Amino acid sequence: MGLPTYVFYSLSIILVYVSLATLLQMQFGQLGIVNFGIVGFWGLGLYGFGVLLLQYGVPYLPSLILATALATLAAFVLGWIILDLDSQSVLVATLAFATVVADLATTEKWLTEGIRGLGSIPYPLDLGGDSELGLFLIILVATCGVLFYAVRLRRAPYGRLLAGIRDNEVLARGIGKPTLRHKLIFFTVTSGAMGFFGALSASIQHFLVPTLVAPTVTFSVWIALIVGGRQSPLGGLIGVLATIAVFDFLIELFVPIPAGYAQYLPIVKLMLYGLTLMIVLLYRPLGILGARK
Amino acid sequence: MQEPKIQLSNVRKAYGGRTVVDVENLALGRHGIEGLIGPNGAGKSTLMSLITHKVNLDHGSIVFNAGTEGVVLSEWSLDEIARLGVVRTNQIIQDFESLSIVDSILLSLAPPRYEKLYSLFSDEQMQREMRPAVEEYLSYFQFSDPAGHALSAGEKKLLDIIRCLALKPKFLLMDEPTTGLHQDQTDRVLELIRRLTRDDGMSVLIIEHDLDVIWNACEHVHFMAEGQIMTQGSPAEIRGNSTVEIKYLGEPGA
Amino acid sequence: MTILTSWLTNALTLGLIEAAPLVLAAVGFTLIYYLNGFINVAYAENITLGAFFAVIFNSVLGLNFYLTIVPAALLSGVVSVLTYLLVFRPAMLRGVGPTEMIILSVGLSFFIRYGSRLVFGGDLYNFDNVSPAYYSFLGMGITSFQIVALILVGAITIALYFFIYRTSYGERMRALASNEDLALVSGIDPVRVSVLVWFIAGVAGGLAGVFYGVFSFVNTLLGWKLILIVMMVSIVGGIGNVRGALLASFGAGIITAGIALVASPLYGEIALLLLFIVVLRLKRARA
Repeated sequence: MGLPTYVFYSLSIILVYVSLATLLQMQFGQLGIVNFGIVGFWGLGLYGFGVLLLQYGVPYLPSLILATALATLAAFVLGWIILDLDSQSVLVATLAFATVVADLATTEKWLTEGIRGLGSIPYPLDLGGDSELGLFLIILVATCGVLFYAVRLRRAPYGRLLAGIRDNEVLARGIGKPTLRHKLIFFTVTSGAMGFFGALSASIQHFLVPTLVAPTVTFSVWIALIVGGRQSPLGGLIGVLATIAVFDFLIELFVPIPAGYAQYLPIVKLMLYGLTLMIVLLYRPLGILGARK
Repeated sequence: MQEPKIQLSNVRKAYGGRTVVDVENLALGRHGIEGLIGPNGAGKSTLMSLITHKVNLDHGSIVFNAGTEGVVLSEWSLDEIARLGVVRTNQIIQDFESLSIVDSILLSLAPPRYEKLYSLFSDEQMQREMRPAVEEYLSYFQFSDPAGHALSAGEKKLLDIIRCLALKPKFLLMDEPTTGLHQDQTDRVLELIRRLTRDDGMSVLIIEHDLDVIWNACEHVHFMAEGQIMTQGSPAEIRGNSTVEIKYLGEPGA
Repeated sequence: MTILTSWLTNALTLGLIEAAPLVLAAVGFTLIYYLNGFINVAYAENITLGAFFAVIFNSVLGLNFYLTIVPAALLSGVVSVLTYLLVFRPAMLRGVGPTEMIILSVGLSFFIRYGSRLVFGGDLYNFDNVSPAYYSFLGMGITSFQIVALILVGAITIALYFFIYRTSYGERMRALASNEDLALVSGIDPVRVSVLVWFIAGVAGGLAGVFYGVFSFVNTLLGWKLILIVMMVSIVGGIGNVRGALLASFGAGIITAGIALVASPLYGEIALLLLFIVVLRLKRARA
């Protein structure tokens, strides 16, 4: 391949964001769960994977599976505690969960090496110069899987059920749907999938530091979904392309920015994310794809 | 007369110290269609909420299918009770805002085997299976645009009733079902539930302020006031009852 | 004194002292939540800006620390009112739902935080010429700033309590919070009452920022680091419940201080957050 490796690095990150935003689309857009703890599940996968692989010498694939299982288990326990609370409590509790994960990444130095960082993490396939490409392709396949699921879900009886629970949970219970069980299962599985993408992300990052699991990840995903349109299964994809891909890929890689100003780019980016989010919510609350009914 | 389907004993519910429901003994479902009438604030809707366990009992027991194998309803949740066959139509209009009329009925009809996380390709088969039932409801009750959303209050109310009937309930609680319906829609609803009670053995309890509905449709009427069942009997007996006369029928505007 | 009792008294006194700014922030936050029914994440920036205003007055204009408190608090109140009038009021008029309001406030929070990051950079700011007097209290050192903070917290909490439950404005606010349409019919001007409430909340948040800043340092992440605890304290204390916010804040302060005495402060935060999740659950189970 003629493309330099940093292109695959950036593309892989963007794909991970597409997956996270699509998973959030299913949780929030389809089912109505306000998950502000995305980075917590993703981070459990990321660090769980890194710790198993490097501190305990577990091979790549079992580490991937176990790290995903760890995030899934955390989602199950958290969901079991909070999913029948009102949505504002769910929001705060999931945010708190993610903060706990980030704190643990800092404090538990015996596992995570704390702020010194944990590294270095190898690629899933050792293809020499094409290892980045290999990782990219694996993430691409996984992302397509998530997108496919999200699109199919809309046409499946299960998607109709989730929409019903989102619209009116008490009414759904009144017609015999065990809403809490469905919410718990769906939240557990989709949050576990966020953990899976966290584990895959470990290879993109190579070196794990606690700042990677900052709440900015969660909010970037939310901003992308709101901008793209939360009602459409492709809203996450479109939103990530319109926000993260523009800044982290197009501008960062291809726009010549004078050296003195490059340090301001991430700050301006987050500021503009905030502004975009406000404008979208005020003037186009259903996002870019919102008008298509 | 048949065995009662639901037996309430010493059922009490209070909100903030004020007793709303205090029913010593009440047998429901001895007749096909029964009425529950009484002045505003008598506790009728709360009684229905207690039966479907939408709100918790303070005291007492509610047993479904009493006599054969009794199920204590207060030990089950709202959705489990609906699956047992005790279903309630809503007094205040409730809807799934994003679902079309057809989708809303399909959701109610969908059996659990289709509603699985991994069941992504089953919709066609389910639609094929359920289509006749959906069509039957749609041709019986006319909607302006079945593929679209329920628009008027009346359509939403009808849809709510259809969703409940689609569950093939054994005991249907109807909380002011005809409010917002046209006369011909009301007649159709009553006609259908009469048929279902006759052919399928369904029992119905209706709360209604439109007393013509009660006198026409019900075989038996319970009169409730101040949280208690004051009296019960045939429509003719209740109409002539002096307590009912004083506490309810004499009310201006009733 | 045994180790346990000395740990306990230290945790109590430190916790009370450190909770003082948290009380201010939580009371302000809970007022907005109570009035408008949504979580205002951008309140974090209100706290941050309060601290920055004070630092600017202090280091640029050379004002004495105590003299910076009042103008910084008033400016924070103005900022709070501006966010209400420019962002939240228009959003409410457009019928944005409660969950979307929270996301909107996240957007505003990002905008202000990274905007001020462009202005102030990533540095840590300290107050100049600050040499608080030290006193000894129950064997603990306490600075004059901490005493002032405690006194202010007490005064503001009492004032707010009277405002909400004893004045006609408080009555109007409660009417507005429970039913805007009904309040309108009874002749209450919702904008005027709301502006006043957002101003008071902004003042409280700004003061919280000033004291957090003088206890340690000021940077653009100051409010953001606190907002989660502020949100949880307000929810656990009961929305719009000044006394609940007060108790929950002190509880939180004591737990954090108690754990920080024996382990990394992060464990205090972890314990607090897990406890909050459990309390949320228990509150629901009781309801």
